[in-house]
Amino acid sequence: MNKMKKYRIIARIHVQNAFVYRANVISGLLFYTLFIFVFFNLWRAIYEGGSVSGYTHGQVVWYLIITELVVFGCRTRIVTQINEDVKTGAIAYLLNRPVHYIAYQAAAAAGQIAANLFFFGLLAAALGFLFVGPIPDFQWAGVPCMLLSGALGVALQFASMTAIGLTAFRLEDNSAVYLIFHKLVFMLGVFLPVEFLPGWLQGIAKALPFSYVAWGPAKLFVGFSWSLFLQIVPMQMLWLSVMTGLSLLMYRSGMRNLQMNGG
Amino acid sequence: MKRHLKIAFLYFKVNLASAMEYRSSFLMQAFGMALSNATFVFFWWIAFSQVGGKIGGYDFQDVMFIWALCSSAFGLSSILFANVNHLTRLIVSGELDTFLLQPCNVLLSVCCARTSLSAYGDLLYGIVLLALTQGGNGAAWIFFALAVPVGAALITAVALTAHTLTFLLGDASIAGSMGLEFIINFCIYPEGIYQKFIRGLMYSVIPAAFIVHIPLRLARNFSLSWLVIWLLASALYCGFAVWFFYRGLRKYESGNLIITRL
Repeated sequence: MNKMKKYRIIARIHVQNAFVYRANVISGLLFYTLFIFVFFNLWRAIYEGGSVSGYTHGQVVWYLIITELVVFGCRTRIVTQINEDVKTGAIAYLLNRPVHYIAYQAAAAAGQIAANLFFFGLLAAALGFLFVGPIPDFQWAGVPCMLLSGALGVALQFASMTAIGLTAFRLEDNSAVYLIFHKLVFMLGVFLPVEFLPGWLQGIAKALPFSYVAWGPAKLFVGFSWSLFLQIVPMQMLWLSVMTGLSLLMYRSGMRNLQMNGG
Repeated sequence: MKRHLKIAFLYFKVNLASAMEYRSSFLMQAFGMALSNATFVFFWWIAFSQVGGKIGGYDFQDVMFIWALCSSAFGLSSILFANVNHLTRLIVSGELDTFLLQPCNVLLSVCCARTSLSAYGDLLYGIVLLALTQGGNGAAWIFFALAVPVGAALITAVALTAHTLTFLLGDASIAGSMGLEFIINFCIYPEGIYQKFIRGLMYSVIPAAFIVHIPLRLARNFSLSWLVIWLLASALYCGFAVWFFYRGLRKYESGNLIITRL
């Protein structure tokens, strides 16, 4: 129990930090609003001809609001932080503290993400109702499942970012790995629902982890069904396990090869 | 004027030489930016294949033209005048003193003092995208070549105006970053998706229309009157940004900070 207490304190400190840096919060909220506004207009122009791939205009706008909520909610410094810690050698000072390095980063990110989801969640709901009203045929009974899928999406993004950050043990410049992951998440689910992709690409997208960060939760949110839930959530759990395992393996391997010089 | 151009060119040469010192980082950032931009081609390809025809009055080639133009104009602006986005920090920290003491144009010296490595990727991406999507369309190439420097000047002017607010209101870094986000977002989507009020903004406060939409109109359907309106309005906007900066500069108070620029 005591073990968990220190991580709760770390998470709480990062929640407080998020509330202190108001300028960051305000600029993020403004950017989120601008983004949703631009895409609301774009989808309105696209939907002049009726529904696209089974989504109505209202559904697709809510879909984007949810995918962007996951993306903005997951905005943490995790990759940059691990990079800096490894490259500057600061990790040496963190290792002799009574916390596990990865668990410390997870607690810090959880605090930041909780604050992000609070700010952006309120704004997302307000913008959704303002632009297109309530989600058509929303399934209230499925809310716990949607929240579970959302939490898994956020956790998958965090585990992936940790694995990418830890590549700093091997790569001098890992920005390309981050960029490629980030862009694949955007292309395979954030901007467009997977159902909009060509048939051959949908199969590939649903087999890879990228779509389960944002597409999975957003799809359940706008068109919940139990069959969809049973299709998405097990895949999220599978990829979360893979990414977490990969992160821990990379961490252990990095620790074995870590060389510290006094000074 | 000749002296100013010479200073700007010298800054460019020094900044480029400095970037080439870290060649792999330079290439990685430039390539990364080009790759990042390329994801939007994928988005538009899917969007047009779902809808067919036009979106907001633009077809696929039109959208690629405004994308190419916006990317290259933004790239050129960030290659030559990247430091304009650091103006708020310079004012707030008192580092502007260093530029005021130099025996050359203050604004030019401030704007040119820094370059962006990823901006080379933006500039190149626009040219490659234009070649791939417009092919041998002479009008598209002519107006692209004309509009890239005009667009770069306008993008810089928007950032300059927003950051100049720091002289009057205190830290305006949010206004600076949002000004840039607004201008880019209004440049990369068809004008026709917005309603009248937003289009009004695009022809005035946020001059996105003068950066990409009017050059597209000229490339597709040339009109002398639109050409004159475009050039005059762009010059007026840039002139206002310069005037506003020097008005704001009168409010600057030095903190007697002593720093070294290497």
